[in-house]
Amino acid sequence: MPAVIRTEELTKFYGSHRGIVDVDLEVQEGEIFGFLGPNGAGKTTTLRTLLDLIRPTRGRAWVFDIETTVDPVAIHRRIGYIPGEFALYDGLTGGQTVEYFANLRGGVDRAYQASLIERFDLDPTRRYKEYSKGNKQKVGLVIALQHQPELLMLDEPTSGLDPLIQQSFFELVREARTEGRTVFLSSHILSEVERTCDRAAIIREGRLARVDRVEALRDLAHHQVELRFSGPIPAAEFESLPGVSHVTADQHVLRMRVSGPITPVVRAAARFELLDFVSREPTLEETFLAEYGRESVTVNDRGL
Amino acid sequence: MVITVSLAQRLFGLGSVYGKTIRDSRRATLLVAGFLALFAVVAGAATAVAFDTPGSRREVAMLATALPAIFQGLLGRPIGLETLGGIIEWRYAPLFLLLMPLWSILALSSTLATEAKNGSLDLVVSTPLTRRRIALEKLAGHVAVVVLAMAVLALATWLVGIVFETLPGDAIALDAALAYAALVGVTTLATGGLALALASLLGRGPAVAITGGVMTFMYFVNGFRSSVNVFETLSPLSWYRWTYDHVPLAGLVDWASLVPLALAFVVFAGIGVVAFERRDLGSVVPIRLPRTPRPLLGLGGPFGRSLSEQLNGTVAWGLGIGLYAAVIVSTGSAFAESIRNVPAIDALLRAIFPTIDYSTVAGLLQLVFVEFGLIMFGFVAASTVAGWASEETQGRLEMVLSAPLSRVAWVLRGGLGVHLAIVLAAALVAACIGLATVGLGEDPLTPMAGTFVVALYGAAWAGVGMAVGGLVRPSLAPPVVVALTVGTFLLALLAPAFDLPEWVGDLALSSHYGKPLVGDWDPVGIVASLALAAGGLVLGAWGMRRRDVQG
Repeated sequence: MPAVIRTEELTKFYGSHRGIVDVDLEVQEGEIFGFLGPNGAGKTTTLRTLLDLIRPTRGRAWVFDIETTVDPVAIHRRIGYIPGEFALYDGLTGGQTVEYFANLRGGVDRAYQASLIERFDLDPTRRYKEYSKGNKQKVGLVIALQHQPELLMLDEPTSGLDPLIQQSFFELVREARTEGRTVFLSSHILSEVERTCDRAAIIREGRLARVDRVEALRDLAHHQVELRFSGPIPAAEFESLPGVSHVTADQHVLRMRVSGPITPVVRAAARFELLDFVSREPTLEETFLAEYGRESVTVNDRGL
Repeated sequence: MVITVSLAQRLFGLGSVYGKTIRDSRRATLLVAGFLALFAVVAGAATAVAFDTPGSRREVAMLATALPAIFQGLLGRPIGLETLGGIIEWRYAPLFLLLMPLWSILALSSTLATEAKNGSLDLVVSTPLTRRRIALEKLAGHVAVVVLAMAVLALATWLVGIVFETLPGDAIALDAALAYAALVGVTTLATGGLALALASLLGRGPAVAITGGVMTFMYFVNGFRSSVNVFETLSPLSWYRWTYDHVPLAGLVDWASLVPLALAFVVFAGIGVVAFERRDLGSVVPIRLPRTPRPLLGLGGPFGRSLSEQLNGTVAWGLGIGLYAAVIVSTGSAFAESIRNVPAIDALLRAIFPTIDYSTVAGLLQLVFVEFGLIMFGFVAASTVAGWASEETQGRLEMVLSAPLSRVAWVLRGGLGVHLAIVLAAALVAACIGLATVGLGEDPLTPMAGTFVVALYGAAWAGVGMAVGGLVRPSLAPPVVVALTVGTFLLALLAPAFDLPEWVGDLALSSHYGKPLVGDWDPVGIVASLALAAGGLVLGAWGMRRRDVQG
């Protein structure tokens, strides 16, 4: 599958302040790609650079094989974008705002536009300034989606939306994938990436920490193991096992983190009288935290 | 370790609400104080040069009393005109008394309302400070910076009396300068207090509009009370009437008249503080205005949108300037008659402006409106450029540019909207002048066409503003336009006053339009303005291609 987004050593500094550093990324056609990172990690900088709203200090980026700094308008013609933070025209109604952006693009299907407004439960007759944060976000989402773009670039798209509308939004995102369109979704909410995305990249302090399939990210991380003993806790028996770390004992409960195969822990545990054995698959959130807990970033795996 | 807050941080810094208010106001305070000092010097220099003999002082005193009531109402109280201070207060005090309150209106209307709207006040109020204390500290911060600016005004006025003393009695005593600054300061705060009270109830926009309107109306009520019966009835309500006998630079001091004004400030500010204390944070009483008709919304693209966003402001500017011009036109015959009754002034005017027949409407406008018109069109330009820049400063541009629209196209189309808005304002001014002129049975076309030449001054600075916005950053564009407008005005005033070389005065673009309102157009100014208007736009588009869009 061809790459819809490709970057090579993409770097952006704001004066002396770091934006992103040497970001190498590929997003394939037809996938939902999550872009994860804490605040200030460089997610928005990456998105804005891909849209040519800001120019890279170093490195290059291509969207649809068009270099972002060469013909951004050709890229914009095929994308839908919602910024992380935005303001629109206070004097216009939501409907007029959506219409204005439809006019700027051209070729918007009015019926589809109306269906989006209905699905997001947006009242288009109210003035933009009268909307709540969530309703303003809905206006932004309709603007991004109404022309059924080939590539959706969404920066924290669910910010301010209630759970029902979030559900509608993710349905739309999955529909886009079904139709062969691509979604680049920046977020710091891991559960939504876990639920929706095919692959995800983790960015930390401006550098890509990991790019992989969502399941692989999860599996590659660790298991949280909890053993409940009937007698004294034999902590020393477990601390020396391969892959075991963060061992803590609390009354009759021993907790540990296990990276890699869990078999040595199971074998060791079988030698003792156990009341309970719990091994939990980590959530992406835990994976994420584990990743950021490291001192240095070592992985730059395209993970295709 | 517990963080301690130093006294310095409490007084100027992030140690208290008061300190932060002072800190946030530092640029505005410097700007206002600098403007006050500079303007006091310019006014002193211009007065000292223009009226440097006892004879010229007598003539100006005669002119002041002979002027039609409509003109007298626009100026200060004509007393003590044989002294430097008296002339300064007569000619320039109204400007201070109308301009300075704008600072307080803008500051006090936003200090709570804007922060509440933005949500930052939620965080401040969630600290262990009472709402009353927060409001009072913010208020105290503003009072402190106004007092500081007024101290600068007093000092500058006192120095003007020393430096430009030309005739006996020109020296301005320090206590007179202080009394004058107190008048400006208390008027400023009382007006700002009203804005604070209204902003707590209605929100910032309506508060600014209503207070600005009330202030202007009160000024006219006092100024024209002798010529309009209903104004005479209303005049006890005007705070400009309350201080009518306080003309300290002319030697008439009435400290007691400032007390009601100070009380008005306390009452207005008290209403604002109590309303802030008792009402829901950020809640306002909505004022329903009719929506813009759909065809005027400009939904077709950046050009229409830019024009539509400017429409309300443009119409307000156009009608405001136009009505002022129409008032001047309507006094044409009375003005000419007054001048004829003072042969010395008649001769003086004919010597200075030999080609202007001020007995015609066009001549009168050229004499008394053109400078005001130039400055006003500079402000129209600043206002429209600010609207254009707000697309980026308020974060809309990012979404607009995610559509298949190049940056160059956005700058050019939006910029054309800015220029067309200026043309629209000029058309409204011209229409007002035309209607008033036709009513007097004179040729309306010459002053109407001249109005568009005057408006070119605004278009030129708008072009420069958009160049700066495109090349550097959009937030810089409006201040640059204001600086160029005011700077040019001051340059044109200062160059002859300080006997500077001719080329210095020629640097002022406003010196190169000829006498546009009487049909004498100077092609140099016109071509230069068109070049700046168009060239600035193109330069801005080029600059916009090169820089990052602000997020």
